[in-house]
Amino acid sequence: MNAWEMINMALISLRTNKLRSFLTMLGILIGVASIIAIVAIGNGGKAAVLGAIASGSAQNTIQIVPRELVAPGLPQPGQVLAIDESDLAIAASFSGVQQVNYTLYGTAVVSSGNRSDNASIEAGPANLNELTRLRIISGHMFSQADVIGHRDVAVLSQSLANKLFGSGNPIGGLVNVSGVPLQIVGVAVSQETSLFSLFMGSDALYMPATTCQDLFPNWSVSEMDVQAAPGANVQSLAQRIVTALNIHAGDATAFADSSGLASSVGALLSKVTTILTLVIGAIAGIALLVGGVGVMNIMLVSVTERTQEIGIRISLGATRTVILLQFLVESATITAIGGLAGVVIGCFIGLGIRITTGIPASVPWPVALISFLFSAAIGVICGLYPANKAARLNPIEALRYE
Amino acid sequence: MIELHGVYKTYRVGDEPLTVLHGVDLRIEEGEFVSIMGPSGSGKSTLMHIIGCLDTPSVGEYRLRGTLVSNLSARELAVLRNRMIGFVFQNFHLLPRITAVRNVELPLLYAGVGRAERRARALDLLARVGMADRAQHLPTALSGGQKQRVAIARALANDPALILADEPTGALDQRTGLEIIHLLRDLHHAGRTIVVITHDPTVAAAADRTIYIVDGQIRREEVRRR
Repeated sequence: MNAWEMINMALISLRTNKLRSFLTMLGILIGVASIIAIVAIGNGGKAAVLGAIASGSAQNTIQIVPRELVAPGLPQPGQVLAIDESDLAIAASFSGVQQVNYTLYGTAVVSSGNRSDNASIEAGPANLNELTRLRIISGHMFSQADVIGHRDVAVLSQSLANKLFGSGNPIGGLVNVSGVPLQIVGVAVSQETSLFSLFMGSDALYMPATTCQDLFPNWSVSEMDVQAAPGANVQSLAQRIVTALNIHAGDATAFADSSGLASSVGALLSKVTTILTLVIGAIAGIALLVGGVGVMNIMLVSVTERTQEIGIRISLGATRTVILLQFLVESATITAIGGLAGVVIGCFIGLGIRITTGIPASVPWPVALISFLFSAAIGVICGLYPANKAARLNPIEALRYE
Repeated sequence: MIELHGVYKTYRVGDEPLTVLHGVDLRIEEGEFVSIMGPSGSGKSTLMHIIGCLDTPSVGEYRLRGTLVSNLSARELAVLRNRMIGFVFQNFHLLPRITAVRNVELPLLYAGVGRAERRARALDLLARVGMADRAQHLPTALSGGQKQRVAIARALANDPALILADEPTGALDQRTGLEIIHLLRDLHHAGRTIVVITHDPTVAAAADRTIYIVDGQIRREEVRRR
């Protein structure tokens, strides 16, 4: 008798007791489906958090901020609060640095006609949209020429555009900031809830750093964006620049690499997500174990119920091994089918979450494969005792059993 | 073909040993049709189990076609049952949830016969017992006589040397019982060795030789000339 005949025989036997087979399967199915769904959500959550953090600091860009901004609190006397021309020059002197830009943050009243709103102002280089992860939804980002030429242009966040212009098209329109009209070149949405935008709200106006310094001469430069050359070792470069700036300021902790801060927060969050996934996964694993006990229970009932069948099979020449295998294959088939259905349903749950919440839930194929194999193994383990009991039946007594 | 020498069988019931067979000597030749008669509790079922290789003697020797059965392992006994012996039971003992043809296929399955050949042979056997048109029926849809025909087809599956029938007409009415007896006689005429255990004298009379067993011992034999 080959394996296929065994499985076929098991399927026939399972088919004759459809409802019971299904209910037995259900325990395994729910266990596996919840494990798969939890892993999918955990993976998706982690990917979402890491993605947000990675995009918070644009690639190859080192964001350097004065310490006060890293750890909020009252500034100490003599503490560096702003970045000045000499600091920018020091950063620019490093080899491996392509360009040094700077960013200013603040708030100001932005008005258009009779509507006005208190908005956060973010002023920076032409790649500000990459640094703060903006997606331009209409118009375009201000250009390098705009930055160099101190031009009076601005990009509005979508919520600010809606407040000032309602449903009308803001592109080409004018907004008034500090008495100066700025021409709107684009509308953008923030793709993340970064630490800064959390504090500053989503009503934002983005403009060239030079323009901003013209408008608000007393604002200080609060962030330095060092663009590393392609292929440069960003981490060591960041360390060397921060050290040099600190020596220049005469304070070993004057400046810090805020992109480094973001990545350490990311690592922590990723760790937390992993632990949570493991804990919930373990709980789902208990559900799977309970399902396995259910399978064992049903197989024991089945052996008692089918005692005469076993006796007949033995009288027809079935060896103990064949009887043992028959019951093992039967219970493994139940749990394997249950496991397979669980994997499929778990994947669908993950897909549903991906569609409804946008969390990039995904099931790595080794997890699906291991879940499936594990549930088949549960069938073998939980079937072992009942199958052994069946194989050890005395044929004469089994034949007489009613 | 069948040789028993000084066979004793003792069971343990609680603490008490219970001896069911008290030194049975029996010889059945190739191609014989023998009936074994006795009241209930006489030990004839135990004798059948030993002849059928479902059980082994406590003391004594049993040889089936020269093979000393007493020394065989459970696995070897299973192979022997599969190849050498066809059982026919009082209550038919068909598996209720599979079709007639699948029931007949079972001994072939355990003998390792391939799928297509198995099906062909099973259908051929069913045709031989007049059940060709019932091959796809479940046993529950068959009458008692039809079930016993299927059971006989199954007993013949591996072309065994010996057909061992335990009260084959016990659950049938007289007319159907007679048909089954005729079927067994036909098999006998075709050269097969048949042993029938019964307490029905008309069934016993169909055999060439009847062995009477009382209290675990063979008391007398009756040989019929035909």
